[in-house]
Amino acid sequence: MIDVVQLAQNLINGVGLGLIYGLIGIGFCVIYNASGIVNFGQGVFVMLGGMICATFLAHAGLPIWLAALVTVPVVALIGVAMEVAIVRPMWKRGASIFAIILATLACQMLIEQVTLLGLGDQPRTFDSFTPGGPLMVGGVALPYQFFWVLGCGALMVAGLWAFFTRTRSGRALRACSQNAEAAALLGVPVRRMMMLSFALSAGLGAVAGILITPSQITAYNIGTPFGVNGFIAAIIGGFGSAAGAVTGGILLGVFQALAIALLGASFKNVAALSVLLVVLLVFPQGILAQIKTLRSSRR
Amino acid sequence: MTTPLLEIRDLSARYGHVEALKPTSLTVAEGELVTILGPNGAGKSTLLRAVTRLTPGPGAILFKGRDVSALPTHKLSELGIILVQEGRGLFGDMSVRENLVLGAYNAGGDTAEIAARMEKVFSLFPRLKERLDQKAALMSGGEQQMLAIGRAMMAGPKLLMLDEPSLGLAPRVAGEILETLGELNRQGLGILLVEQKAPLALRLARRVYVLSLGRIVAELPSHEIKSHHDLARYYLH
Repeated sequence: MIDVVQLAQNLINGVGLGLIYGLIGIGFCVIYNASGIVNFGQGVFVMLGGMICATFLAHAGLPIWLAALVTVPVVALIGVAMEVAIVRPMWKRGASIFAIILATLACQMLIEQVTLLGLGDQPRTFDSFTPGGPLMVGGVALPYQFFWVLGCGALMVAGLWAFFTRTRSGRALRACSQNAEAAALLGVPVRRMMMLSFALSAGLGAVAGILITPSQITAYNIGTPFGVNGFIAAIIGGFGSAAGAVTGGILLGVFQALAIALLGASFKNVAALSVLLVVLLVFPQGILAQIKTLRSSRR
Repeated sequence: MTTPLLEIRDLSARYGHVEALKPTSLTVAEGELVTILGPNGAGKSTLLRAVTRLTPGPGAILFKGRDVSALPTHKLSELGIILVQEGRGLFGDMSVRENLVLGAYNAGGDTAEIAARMEKVFSLFPRLKERLDQKAALMSGGEQQMLAIGRAMMAGPKLLMLDEPSLGLAPRVAGEILETLGELNRQGLGILLVEQKAPLALRLARRVYVLSLGRIVAELPSHEIKSHHDLARYYLH
């Protein structure tokens, strides 16, 4: 017999984790939209966010808000370095998109090994941003960190929406994704936009890493599982849209939580891949794209 | 002798091993409308791509006497060299307003300047004002071409280059579009027009270059081309 409270608890956990997947998924979309590249090194930014923030907290004695404020630009700079050192030279030499994608994966492995050498293999964590809790609602525990994830997730989605629709750089990034040549002809520095997309994407990954570390711990090798789940979230949402990635992430997180509750923790990844398969079979262009198509066909 | 608005000297371009544009030279004077005619595959679009460095190749490109051949594409827009691509190159998922605002990218964030430029575009194409919030991809072909030219005008061009602006348009709409280009030229804008619809283009231009098999085979006043037969003679050159 399924314990309803336990199920609700798992669902809450799933929503929290799903939002993190969504943030990582948005990171994938930002780079893809600007360049057509799928950055398989996206997960490493999540790892770096958690690890660097934990290091600032433990060794520099910074308060969490300051450690987070310093960590995000540091990881964004690492994203820029990845674009400048790996992606751009390959792009200039006419490498295929597939070769560049593979290079981003290699880059992730390299950064993981450097992190292992520099910070060791010990998992790290830090306290929730707000001490105390959890908030109990009908027997379901809502950790304060869940509200941080919820609030920051909503803030990031709203901020990104405003950035892409209301700012000159955001519009230019969208223009690059639709027609890079036309954008360049109008004066948009396409290469600089690609650098911006890596910075933005890495920053988003860092935020996700900082938010999740108090409840999930972090280590040099957590980038791959988070990256894979973020990628799945982006695909479920229709690859390209921030709202789609968050929707996909929440769906994925909830299904994983249900699988853990009903079948056991070892079925978590099976659930993730099953959701992906079913969504791709039923909505080949992703859930949000399908909803948009339905809406426009009814008009 | 006055410095030409655009002068290209021995400009060539290739796609892989194929030299699509053989060393080519031409000029466009200030306030002049020059047409490039030629059959399919003659290298007309490649010429415009080479000038805007989308397909860079050897040769000199001088704009108002300054060699700009080493500049990247996005820097040319700041100088006022603007190309309306074949197929229009619109950002289809964006609204008319967003397309126009992006056209003024080189104006920085100067909202007053952007608004002033937009009003000028609306005076050319009032229909765009009625469609401001419509997605570019959902407009008719004629409206899309108006938007493409309107967006180019938002960039404040000194030299406007257009690649087959009448392509895929009904004759009446194509005529309207080309009439607007004529009006812009009468206001002093230098225009380099690549066009397949020779009669329309010849009515506007004073000077014509004929391109065939990647090279200029003739440069002549437009009134010297009276019929398709005259043109075909050059195409077979």
